[in-house]
Amino acid sequence: MSANEKVLSLTVNGEPKKLLVKPHWMLSRVLREELHHTGTKEACGEGACGACTVLIGDKAVLSCMTLALEAEGKCVETIEGLMSGKNPHPIQEAWLEEFGAQCGFCSPGMIMSAKALLLRNPNPTVGEVREAMAGNICVCSNYEHIEAAVLSAARKMRGEGA
Amino acid sequence: MKTFDYIKANSLDEAGAILAASANGAIHSGGTDLMGCLRDRIWMEDVDVVVSVASIEELKHIRKDGDALKIGAMTTLADIAASALVKESCRMLAQAAQATASPQLRNVGTIAGNICQENRCWYYRYSYRIGGIIECIRKGGKKCLAVGGDHRYHSIFGAVNRCVAVNPSDTAPALVAADATIATTKRNISAREFFTGENGKSSTVLEKGEIVKEISVPLSGDGVRSAFKKVALRKSIDFAIISCAAQIALSGGRVENATICLGGVHVNPRPMDEAAGVLKGEALSDELIECAANVALEGAKPLKGNRYKVQIAKAIILDTLSDCIL
Ligand SMILES: Cc1cc2nc3c(=O)[nH]c(=O)nc-3n(C[C@H](O)[C@H](O)[C@H](O)COP(=O)(O)OP(=O)(O)OC[C@H]3O[C@@H](n4cnc5c(N)ncnc54)[C@H](O)[C@@H]3O)c2cc1C
Ligand code: SF4
Repeated sequence: MSANEKVLSLTVNGEPKKLLVKPHWMLSRVLREELHHTGTKEACGEGACGACTVLIGDKAVLSCMTLALEAEGKCVETIEGLMSGKNPHPIQEAWLEEFGAQCGFCSPGMIMSAKALLLRNPNPTVGEVREAMAGNICVCSNYEHIEAAVLSAARKMRGEGA
Repeated sequence: MKTFDYIKANSLDEAGAILAASANGAIHSGGTDLMGCLRDRIWMEDVDVVVSVASIEELKHIRKDGDALKIGAMTTLADIAASALVKESCRMLAQAAQATASPQLRNVGTIAGNICQENRCWYYRYSYRIGGIIECIRKGGKKCLAVGGDHRYHSIFGAVNRCVAVNPSDTAPALVAADATIATTKRNISAREFFTGENGKSSTVLEKGEIVKEISVPLSGDGVRSAFKKVALRKSIDFAIISCAAQIALSGGRVENATICLGGVHVNPRPMDEAAGVLKGEALSDELIECAANVALEGAKPLKGNRYKVQIAKAIILDTLSDCIL
């Protein structure tokens, strides 16, 4: 252990992890480069695009603006945690059906923001969907499809079919 | 990013002691502004230790206490925006918190970090990675690059200490308009006195090792209405070009008391006392509000490249005051 490395213990997608990190490492870096969960993207690197969104507990946060050590003892969920076995999560299903992705780079972050919304509000209005997704930018400007996908996912998760 | 030591403090005493002993320690609340400053290495002196106060539970509360609303320093903007108590007793503060940044940033960004954040002048924040650090006047250097450069988002009310960078905080104008008090580990400071442009690497009057503990907002009586409005390029994520918070106390159809504060127009949040004075004792009307907005901008000294902001400032005052009447 080099002088300023520290031990970080956290849970990622249900699995406990313990690793050595440098204090200035961001959570995005630890997820991608140390734990090889490359689904989480880092695009702007300054908190302004939402591509690096993950859940800490039930809240959507930006992993590129979060020091890895701030996640000590916390439960982190990334896009890799959504599948159950071989089955996609209803939000992922809705994303495929409603063409939520064009180039797909923003999708992991978008989907995590959608999950945070649907955890606290299973029946969001269009306005609530827009507000909850307002921190995620899609450079393809696929917003209409993204909105439709989130609304469809909400219906699926309420057991109403698509 | 330059590395540093990281310590999670369990109490404010602990945090204060670590900061006092450090060469150049930094407080970490939500970290959403601090991380940008550290990543871009905008400061002349590197930070040697980051002291996180984010998990101190006693600092996360919103409660009524006597005749004030007390908000713990580590309360997130998301919690303030969603709080029924804040919406009911200081609507403009809930609106300002809701208008800040994006959902993800509001989930971790705190009220303390919001009022202590660094300014966003693009010369000041010019990244080490692309050729910074720029040692401008605000950092102790000799030149302000904004006055002769691109200052479209800078002050329209002149300089403080020859710097024309605006305070970017959205909650600041609401706290000033509400006449809030900021309690630190050393003293109580009124929101009006809290901000400064003269303090080297900070936007506040805080001394080294001094930590914001709690914000106290006087509870408003019946007949008091407040509103916050923000003009930004995009509705979400972007900083305000100009923001406005206003509070009006009506009694018998007349204005008993009024406060107006603009954000994004000056180095510090800018109380518009003369404009508010125009309203006092009068019955509110469209003409009166218009008159107040004109008075507010009478002393404006826009730079060559930001005259447009004067018009926005007038419009946003009209909009905010109209929303107080409804
Ligand atoms: C993309 C983007 C968009 C943004 N948009 C907006 C916006 O629209 N409006 C807006 O107002 N802000 C905006 N911000 C800035 C910032 O996210 C918020 O102001 C947030 O509230 C800062 O809070 P924090 O807890 O994360 O602060 P931190 O980053 O933890 O702290 C900010 C500064 O204050 C100091 N500090 C923190 N806590 C204390 C304390 N208790 N006592 C003394 N000093 C302290 C820190 O040392 C640091 O210098 C934006 C940021 C980003 C990255
Ligand atoms: S406006 Fe202030 S912060 Fe910006 S370059 Fe000039 S002195 Fe520096």
